[in-house]
Amino acid sequence: MVSDNLKVGVFICKCGGNISDVIDIERVKESIDADVIEEYTNLCSINGRKIIRDKVIGDELDRVVIAACSTQSHLKTFQAYVQPLNPYLMDMANIREQCSWVHSTTDDDFNQKATDKVITLINASIGKVSKSEPVDPIVVQTPNSAAVVGGGISGMSAALSLGKQGIKTYLIEESPSIGGHMAKIGKVFSPVKIAEECGLCLLNPVLNDVVWNENIEVMTNSKVVKANRRAGSFNLLVETKPRYVDSEKCLSCGDCVDVCDKLIPNDWNDGLTNRKAIYKPFAQCYPDSYVIDIDNCDKCGDCKRECKMDAISFRRENEMIPLEVGSVILATGHKLFDPDLRPEYGYSRFKDVITQSELGRILGVNGPTKGKFQCLSNGEVPKNVVMIQCVGSRDDTPNGHKYCSKVCCMVALKNANIIKHKYPDTNIIICYTDIRTPGMFEKYYKHAQASGIRLVRGRPGEVGKKDGHLVVRVEDTVKREFKELDADMVVLSTAIEPSEGTNEIAKIFDVSQSEDNFIKEANPKIKPVTTDIQGAFVAGTAQDPKDITDSILQATASASKVSEIVSNGIEIEPFIADVDYEICDLCGECIEVCKYKSMSIEKDRIFIDPMSCSGCGNCIAKCDKNAISINGNIDEMIFSTIDGILKDKKPGEKRIIAFLDDIGYTAADNIGINRLSYPESIHIIKVISVNRVMPKHIIHALKTGADGIFIGEYPGDLLYDEIEHNMKKIRREIEMNNMNPERLAFSKVYIPYFSGLARKFIEFDSKIDEINDLAK
Amino acid sequence: MDEKFEHGSLDLAHFIMNDIKFAQGENLLKCVQCGMCTSACPGAQHSDYNPRDMIEYILEGDNSIIESEDIWNCFYCYTCHSICPVGNSPCQANQVLKQIAIDEGIADEHLRPFLGFGDSFLNHGMGGIPQNFFKEMREDIGEDWWEFKNHLDDVRTQLGLGPVYPDDDSIEEISTILVKCGFKDRVEKIREIKDYEK
Amino acid sequence: MKQIPDKNILLFKSCLVSIEYPGVESSTTFVFDKIGVDYFVSREQTCCTGLGHYSDVFDQFTTTVNGARHFALSHKLNRPNFAMMCATCYAINKRVANLLNENDELRDSVNDVFDDCGFEWMKYEKDDITSRENIFHVIDIFYSKRKEIAENIKYDFSDFKIATHHGCHYCKAHYHDTIEGVRNPHIIDDVVNACGVETVGWYDFKRATCGNGFSQRFVHKDLSMDATNDKFKSLKDKNTEILIHLCPNCHIQFDRYQPYMEKHYGEKLDIINLNIAQFLAIAMGADPYNVVGIQTHTVPVEPLFDRLKLLSDEDKKMIIENVSRKVDLDNSADFNMEADTIKVDFKKGAK
Repeated sequence: MVSDNLKVGVFICKCGGNISDVIDIERVKESIDADVIEEYTNLCSINGRKIIRDKVIGDELDRVVIAACSTQSHLKTFQAYVQPLNPYLMDMANIREQCSWVHSTTDDDFNQKATDKVITLINASIGKVSKSEPVDPIVVQTPNSAAVVGGGISGMSAALSLGKQGIKTYLIEESPSIGGHMAKIGKVFSPVKIAEECGLCLLNPVLNDVVWNENIEVMTNSKVVKANRRAGSFNLLVETKPRYVDSEKCLSCGDCVDVCDKLIPNDWNDGLTNRKAIYKPFAQCYPDSYVIDIDNCDKCGDCKRECKMDAISFRRENEMIPLEVGSVILATGHKLFDPDLRPEYGYSRFKDVITQSELGRILGVNGPTKGKFQCLSNGEVPKNVVMIQCVGSRDDTPNGHKYCSKVCCMVALKNANIIKHKYPDTNIIICYTDIRTPGMFEKYYKHAQASGIRLVRGRPGEVGKKDGHLVVRVEDTVKREFKELDADMVVLSTAIEPSEGTNEIAKIFDVSQSEDNFIKEANPKIKPVTTDIQGAFVAGTAQDPKDITDSILQATASASKVSEIVSNGIEIEPFIADVDYEICDLCGECIEVCKYKSMSIEKDRIFIDPMSCSGCGNCIAKCDKNAISINGNIDEMIFSTIDGILKDKKPGEKRIIAFLDDIGYTAADNIGINRLSYPESIHIIKVISVNRVMPKHIIHALKTGADGIFIGEYPGDLLYDEIEHNMKKIRREIEMNNMNPERLAFSKVYIPYFSGLARKFIEFDSKIDEINDLAK
Repeated sequence: MDEKFEHGSLDLAHFIMNDIKFAQGENLLKCVQCGMCTSACPGAQHSDYNPRDMIEYILEGDNSIIESEDIWNCFYCYTCHSICPVGNSPCQANQVLKQIAIDEGIADEHLRPFLGFGDSFLNHGMGGIPQNFFKEMREDIGEDWWEFKNHLDDVRTQLGLGPVYPDDDSIEEISTILVKCGFKDRVEKIREIKDYEK
Repeated sequence: MKQIPDKNILLFKSCLVSIEYPGVESSTTFVFDKIGVDYFVSREQTCCTGLGHYSDVFDQFTTTVNGARHFALSHKLNRPNFAMMCATCYAINKRVANLLNENDELRDSVNDVFDDCGFEWMKYEKDDITSRENIFHVIDIFYSKRKEIAENIKYDFSDFKIATHHGCHYCKAHYHDTIEGVRNPHIIDDVVNACGVETVGWYDFKRATCGNGFSQRFVHKDLSMDATNDKFKSLKDKNTEILIHLCPNCHIQFDRYQPYMEKHYGEKLDIINLNIAQFLAIAMGADPYNVVGIQTHTVPVEPLFDRLKLLSDEDKKMIIENVSRKVDLDNSADFNMEADTIKVDFKKGAK
């Protein structure tokens, strides 16, 4: 089996009796064919290392098999012990977790069946190493730089963290100033202090730190228009619109504003006031200078003539700036649900139906009313305020969002509290379905109730007008009573939804979006800031609705993910796809089929990003020209491992091969660790992805004596659906080869569900018995 | 009450979900009692009917809702259906509840005034306002209407329209079909009890 | 936006149109002829069962069998596209189509009935008719022909206060298929706009029921009239002179019962009622008695004609231009129909 010129050494570990109490080591040694065969009580010990190294060097071994425990416990150890041999020329036969620990009960001195299995497993490993090639792990070093897209509180927090860690950071903001929603939010709630604090006062120090940090370059009026990923770095194209006002020269005197006669609804006040075509977004904005809204400017030139500093010039054009960065943080934020999509609430019909965001502006001292709380229709302080929750949230009807926007309960309570403290005579009713104030926020909720804010449990049907004032029609569900609540002001708590920028950036970077169009994290439980694109992370409301605190948490978490990559680079298993450019005709089928989005065409060649390629082999199957291979000769290794398992199979003996991926292999180890058992006929082969087990392997195994093939796959794997689908095809192929397709089993595997896996092994084993009986 | 639905279970809810009059499936079970249906319901604004409450009875497995008089105040306007945040339809659930009541024979008096719709369909292949309402309508609407009704054919001719009713073959066809569907029996069953009570 | 057909249409007769407001049918065919719609009316058609169905006399199975017969008829006539004059016909038939396509067991039972009766030709096969592609209300067709409507108008209604009422079973029962708003229905407003007329738009209780409530009008008359009164009060607040709707059941409620309402609630209403087809027919110059059938109305329509003016060529040209622009705007991809109707000033520059 082993090529004549390869010297193979087999080292068997007794594991202090864990193995040798069950396995007849002497018989094993007699039965295998290798140049060197050694045994030791504890191979993983320093003495074990000496034994292995002496033999590797002294006998000039080309390949090594360690028959011991699971790769999970000591792979790295033995990869080091075989040095100077290349670590990928060593294989471990798992004769503890997947043999002695699962087949221990026997009346004889040794378990003979388990001993047979050890011989088989060692032969399998010998087969595997005979085809293995020396490969080196790939370390990808990424540039010490990052781009943060979006200059709101999340983007600023992320940029600041990166900057402080010494990473060159570009903070790219589409609007003329950084600051985002938080700048205009007015007061923010503090659950611990049970008080409201000035949002801008909290934001300003962050903003200043960002501006003064020498590692951060703030790019306003700028957006990413193109992004390409290449081996650990991103090539970005940033389009910067001119401000038409030179920030260096502008003194912010405001003379230009006085002479401009264009009036445009002011975004920063939610359109409640107007601004000029030349304007400053808000007092504390950065850059602290004026800007011209060119789309609304008629270029009369009055401002230019008025400017003493000669800071204004209309002869500016959009600039395209290329950037190369190591990582990207997407913090493109949210927008608010359009209240006109719930026309029954009368947002466009009644001046005094407003959103919580507009109420925030009205209550803000820097807002349209200078902080005076008043109705927009008549300037009077409202006597009765009704707030309507869940406008566009928790709503399955067209244009609605099924999710809860998470912050609206707190926002409503906050604004209600602010009103109640300043205007105790104003009655406030919040119409709600559920009040959601988890954790410490519950205390703030109680505080609001203690201030005299009333709650009506019911979701209003509509807002109408009766005898000159607004009425909110709602069922008080607690009292089972239909009511028309009088109101001078109605405030709608509109849903948080992904901003247009979030939708655009997802497409530019090709990151997946959730069904609600937020940027999707790789795993919502354990990878909450990682996207499905290597090196791209997400923070803030671009990912889902969240408050300021959570946004900052996620922003700093994503910054630390970037830092991980920058500090250590990324070490990658070398078994990734490789393209033969002579054969490849750039048909692009492989790009389509790659679930890990690691393939692209660059400079007329297929480029495979080593950071994201998993070595799954999907592209190989798709490539008609056979232009793709996977490094490490994996195809051949699987064949030779199968041959090793089936070597010397005696008549009447039953051998089943179980192909398991990393998760399945760990689950199988757990069966041993928990001392459950399954039949000795089960022989496990670990593969990078079960996708690498091709129909040809399965047919070969069945033809050369395997009684059954068991394939286990973790359902969370990106390829799961495809593999499950492929099974049908393979079964048909087995049938065409005149074999029983039931000899192939496919099963879901989960790490904690090891007892289930053991049971499935047992069931499959007896099923194979039935098939064998039938075949006789 | 009906033993088909175990009290306190989801039997009644499951029956409604599976009825062909109900098209919203398991959304029935997703009701969070937000009351938006009632907030926009004309029946709730002008009577004791409460669609939210009705759904709660169904989900609690309280079969007494089948006998409730209030459910007969639904307008079938589908407002609740069109705005329900979880995609439930109190309006359709209401219709199924009534069919249960009819099948149990406790709703005949609600139906009897409208049997004319069935008769008209069986005899003329078309619905039409039952004659038993004509007297009151004539009082409410006025003599001009009555006059027009008596000269309908003339007006139709003036407008260039053909006869009101389908052709005889089609009436025959639909009549045969309705008998086969068991519709005629359904109508007769409700009417019989009326005659018996007389 | 759904594709709205203008050919191979079976104009589906409505029992209440036939018996109460036959002018709606003659107006519809009048307008269809003007704007180029290919339709047919069949005497083999019965009716949808709607009135009986929503009085709970008809069970869903019987209604479904009856509907399946009509679907077979439409194929026999090679007119698979239904246009309904009544909101209830629309909702009932959509529901029947969905049931027949989605519920295999029910479809088999329906076909068994046809087998038993020896009516082989009526048997239904899955997707013979689909709710979204084959079943429409006449208003949908008018809506898709707004440019043609604009080209055919002769009279100017812009001096009237016009409000609209959208039948519940048109806009709410199958809300995924409704065009131009469910929560703020305004498809009639849009069609009226195509005649160069601004409506009052939203009014309180605009999307609420007319109040007929099927059985409610007959057995709970007070309840029914209270709901109608909500609407009338609100319409009166807007000084409505003409109320336009798309369903004969609403028509009865607002027109036949208006004198009763006036007596009962003590307020003079004087609101003229027109079906959208009647409104368009009048605007296109149809004869009030021989086509529109105003002699069947309870609230006299005649006063309207005293104030109706001929449209000047100049105004008409302007209307055609503006309607054409608005139709293109509505057809643009990012247009959201739930939001308020886009305001187009129809007379801008014309006067």
